[in-house]
Amino acid sequence: MKKLISLAACAVISTAVWAQTKPAESKTAADSLLNSMDSTPKAEPVIATFKSTRLILGATTETVKKNNLNFLVIHRFGDIGGSEGGGKTLLGLDNSSDIYIGFEYGVSDNLDIDFGRSKFAQQVDLGLKYAIVHQTSDNATPFAVTLLGKAGIKAYHADQGEFPTFADRFAYVAQAIIARKFSSNFSLQLTPTYVRNNSPFPFLAGNERSFFAMGIAGRLKVTKRMGIVVDYAHPFSSFRSNATGDNAFYDPLGIGIEIETGGHVFTIVFSNAKAITETSYLSASQSDWGKGQFRLGFTISRMFSFNKKAKKAY
Amino acid sequence: MKYICIILLAWLSIKNQAGQDFYACKNAKISLFSSAPLEDIQASSGSGTSVYNPATGDLAFSVGIRSFQFPKSLMQEHFNENYMESDKYPKATFKGKIKEPVDITKNGSYPVNVTGELNVHGVTQTRTITGTVVVNNGTVSMTSEFMVKCADHKIDIPTLVFKKIAESIKMNVSATYTAVKSS
Repeated sequence: MKKLISLAACAVISTAVWAQTKPAESKTAADSLLNSMDSTPKAEPVIATFKSTRLILGATTETVKKNNLNFLVIHRFGDIGGSEGGGKTLLGLDNSSDIYIGFEYGVSDNLDIDFGRSKFAQQVDLGLKYAIVHQTSDNATPFAVTLLGKAGIKAYHADQGEFPTFADRFAYVAQAIIARKFSSNFSLQLTPTYVRNNSPFPFLAGNERSFFAMGIAGRLKVTKRMGIVVDYAHPFSSFRSNATGDNAFYDPLGIGIEIETGGHVFTIVFSNAKAITETSYLSASQSDWGKGQFRLGFTISRMFSFNKKAKKAY
Repeated sequence: MKYICIILLAWLSIKNQAGQDFYACKNAKISLFSSAPLEDIQASSGSGTSVYNPATGDLAFSVGIRSFQFPKSLMQEHFNENYMESDKYPKATFKGKIKEPVDITKNGSYPVNVTGELNVHGVTQTRTITGTVVVNNGTVSMTSEFMVKCADHKIDIPTLVFKKIAESIKMNVSATYTAVKSS
């Protein structure tokens, strides 16, 4: 570094000498010394791969930063078309397939605790999300990896003997979310997932309790604050693939727009998945886009900061 | 590298006997503040770099946009992502010349006007910025306070954010220099 500075100083001085005869070049004198001081910009971690911790169906690589609280309200209306939709339910607006209220608190900049409650199965979830790898601007690390683990309990009063034992109420999900911000406008993520659902809906003989799934989701920003989002997942479950007729399963797919207004992120979507929490929409999506069994939904994400004092940079 | 340096110095010693000192600062404190109806916005960076040549009056500053620290991390993210677009424009720079003569061999406080080019968000504006140079027993330091209008640098403030962002940002700069010996 010293060598660089001294070299730069030499260069500057020699130019400065020139400057005495050529005033036009005088500007480059200080300039080159300045450049020598920070000519090698450090690689920065890539930020804001996604605007929110949720895209449509699943979680993103984003975590809630330290001492911040993210408050989530996620709503899915009823089927727009099909037997439950149409005019009699005002395109499903009279029904609610699922309502999710969530709180996510940042323990550190890379770790948050997630708590949420769904209307669907009255499931209460508690989870941890940890950003293990950050993408860097020099592409030394080309993608970000965030791990998510959640445990859920179906809390509803079961009067039909749905849950023979208490353990049957539990469902778990583990995800490794891998995302890359290709440009400031385009981000894509893959989400290998493991689901363990002790009593998956519907209650049918042979319904698989454990299976792998893969999610793929992306965002394309149209303006700085608005983007088109797509989220899709496929459960690798032979029971689900082979089920036909009334019990057929369909891969959850959501398409929507995302609007950021400062503290809030709004997502307005169409999705065939009725449920919001991972264990449920991966296990129990039996609505078919082709039959009009998709619904309007929205997500409101509001970030609160509890950092009172300014961070000191020096 | 060394040889180039030696050659340059040798050439210099023949051509010129001045042997001026340059002054450099690697930890200039640069902070921004704006008061808006809903909340104040403030951030600071302690890693600005600056070079000052007392002989010619040349003065240059550079600061990495990502080095600004905000109390609210979401605000910091929006600052980089939505307003400054720091992935495209990673630095803000100023290159100018001090108009008034400053005698760095004499202790004192010198009010100065610096005219030069301010580059923020990839847009260059010619500005005359007032500041103070303080010389105290060979230590040279500078302070300045000036306003930057977002519109001057094509920093969009969308109507959707409900007037959270002020149209002008107050900047404070302070730098303490160390001499970089030329010989």
